[in-house]
Amino acid sequence: MAKLTLKNVYKKYDHKKKRRKKDKENDYFAVNNLSLDCEDGEFIGILGPSGCGKTTTLRMIAGLEDITAGDIFIGDRRINDLHPKDRNIGLAFENYALYPPLTVYENIAFNLRAKGLSNAEVDERVKRIAPLLKVEELLNMRPAALSGGQKQRVNIARAIVRNPDILLLDEPLSHLDGKMRQQLRMEIKRLHNEIESTTIYVTHDQLEAMSLADRIAIMDLGVLQQFGTPSEIYDNPANEFVASFIGEPPMNILTTTIIHHENDFYFTFEDSELRIVVPQRYYDIVKDGMKVRVGVRPTDIYVGGPDSKGTPVRVAVFEDLCTERRIGIRVGDELVMLITEDETKYEQGDLIRLEVNGEKTHLFDLETGNRIQ
Amino acid sequence: MAQVEIINVTKRFGKTTALDNVNLDIKDNEFFVLFGPAGAGKTTLLNTIAGIYLPEEGMVKFDGEVMNQVDASHRNVAMVFENYALYPNQTVYENIASPLRSPLYKQDNETIDREVRRVASLLRIDGLLDRLPHQISNGQKQRVAIGRAIIRTPRVLLMDEPLAHLDAKLRNYMRSELKEMQSMFESTVIYVTHDYLEAISLGDRIAIIKEGKIVQVGTRDEIYYTPRNEFVAALVGEPEINIIDGTLVKENGTSYIKLEMKEELVPLPDNHPLTKTLCEYDTNEFHVGFRPQSIDYTFEYKEGYLKGSVYNFESLGNKAVLTVKVGDTFLRTLAPYDLRVQLDIDIYIDAPITKGLFFDSQTTELIGSYDDAKVNGNGTQE
Repeated sequence: MAKLTLKNVYKKYDHKKKRRKKDKENDYFAVNNLSLDCEDGEFIGILGPSGCGKTTTLRMIAGLEDITAGDIFIGDRRINDLHPKDRNIGLAFENYALYPPLTVYENIAFNLRAKGLSNAEVDERVKRIAPLLKVEELLNMRPAALSGGQKQRVNIARAIVRNPDILLLDEPLSHLDGKMRQQLRMEIKRLHNEIESTTIYVTHDQLEAMSLADRIAIMDLGVLQQFGTPSEIYDNPANEFVASFIGEPPMNILTTTIIHHENDFYFTFEDSELRIVVPQRYYDIVKDGMKVRVGVRPTDIYVGGPDSKGTPVRVAVFEDLCTERRIGIRVGDELVMLITEDETKYEQGDLIRLEVNGEKTHLFDLETGNRIQ
Repeated sequence: MAQVEIINVTKRFGKTTALDNVNLDIKDNEFFVLFGPAGAGKTTLLNTIAGIYLPEEGMVKFDGEVMNQVDASHRNVAMVFENYALYPNQTVYENIASPLRSPLYKQDNETIDREVRRVASLLRIDGLLDRLPHQISNGQKQRVAIGRAIIRTPRVLLMDEPLAHLDAKLRNYMRSELKEMQSMFESTVIYVTHDYLEAISLGDRIAIIKEGKIVQVGTRDEIYYTPRNEFVAALVGEPEINIIDGTLVKENGTSYIKLEMKEELVPLPDNHPLTKTLCEYDTNEFHVGFRPQSIDYTFEYKEGYLKGSVYNFESLGNKAVLTVKVGDTFLRTLAPYDLRVQLDIDIYIDAPITKGLFFDSQTTELIGSYDDAKVNGNGTQE
């Protein structure tokens, strides 16, 4: 187990033959100046949409890709020029790539045998790992007889049996269906709690990252957007991309014009009567007529009571999902959703008064999308 | 606009029975959802209503009129597919107009123009009429597909998993939009899905299908609060319902239930019809289902609460799931999204018996529940 450090890492693919137009114009980096500090034993999620550079990052750590510029350290060892087999890394990919003619036992034992461990040592290690991943019953079976979830367990067992310094997991759950996915997600978390290996987990699924990782690195277009704990990222997103990527249903984000009226500031919206009081903490930065993007999560909007001063709006959508209810209203052309556990049932067209928790509003720059304040 | 009756419909493909004696009575103008896992027969039933398949047995009736012998093109049904199937080389306007240009439903240009503009404004796509399909977003494509389907006010509008291929975020958003558009459908709508959120959000009533058979038909509340059996209970609700073993014990004239994770006996409410039913049952073994939100938890010792440990904690966005291990039993309960807990620490939980759903341990059919305030009426059907 060890620390993992990435310092100003760049990756540029050199497609000599079929260079993409985009690459030529922008001098495109698949990974652009990425720095990450992962503590010993930490579970780090690298999250982002496809093409954001998350798998490239993982592959550079593993030694499957050259590093264009920058340094990667495991502990104090710079590993840029180290052969993959000398990096002491455990890898498990989305597709399991088990050896079909070998039993589960031999699949798990394969790397140990390659290292020249004695039969007794191999047996001891395999038998120790197997129960952690609940594959002890499967040891004599061959991959073809296993379900997808079982194959992935074997795959992960094979990755951790060598006691790697760093465990790298690349979308290990994306092939699995709903229930199996939940089950294995839970077991990966239990496993990490048990063996406490430094783990880098690549995924495009924000739920997986939020529920598994100690800290999450969110990437887009090769650039790190934010690196923080799940609650930091959820409560204080660094920019509009992070805000809309994290959370389900996503944050409502709208363009607003701020107006000043009788000592108070209000958020106003085009083609809408809706007015929301700007919270005091923004008074230093807002000006009359300023245009910004304002974001608020569906759980931070409420239906006001009888003496509410909120703007009256019409219910555009009412969804009764039994455990919660969702109300949608139209603000201009945008559908703004709120979630409530209140059991009142509404009809489309009902008039409600909208209350927004001002402390939970987020402001983003209209041009850059960066968080303001 | 039509009432749709499915009477004793059986459909076979070779030796496989895809639909097994299906009976449904779908009301005029109802938004009716067919909900079940993959391979249950949902799409087969939809195609049978459309006239694409002819059933081996039984009848399909629209407003009392037998449709079996009516060709698909003359049934006046419209279909919206998962992949929208828009004409790529035609504008949004022409796509929406296309049904009114077909020989069967031909209208003059003036009527077409009026109708296209009416439908487009209802669906908020009136600004896009000159665009081609590749120039608009997925959400807009869906609205164009719906506009094309409703422009000639079909008797029945059939929708086959229109949101299934979208990622979770977009699917949720478009489900809400679809719900918003619902009031514009002046047709009976039959909607197929395998997603329980779509089913309970959209359906006036929901039919749950499993292996070609209808398991239950009911409103969302009936399905959720009085699921016909454990299969339905597990299908509706996220995270899934906890189902545990319970044994009926009678001591000194009082009836108790012993739950698998708990040593103490829990007294059953006296004078309740369910207690009487349970006592007269031909077995003492039951299954008791607890929805995650009906299980209470605390990290401090509390009288009457069961001690367990935190086995897992997972955030689901606006809420989180706590998995608690009590002895050998795992129970899922809901927690606020921003709760931060260490795994394996002590936790105390309470599963009030009045919130439990009692199932027959053999047939898995629902026997009843003590929480009968939630739903009036009975959601089951034979």
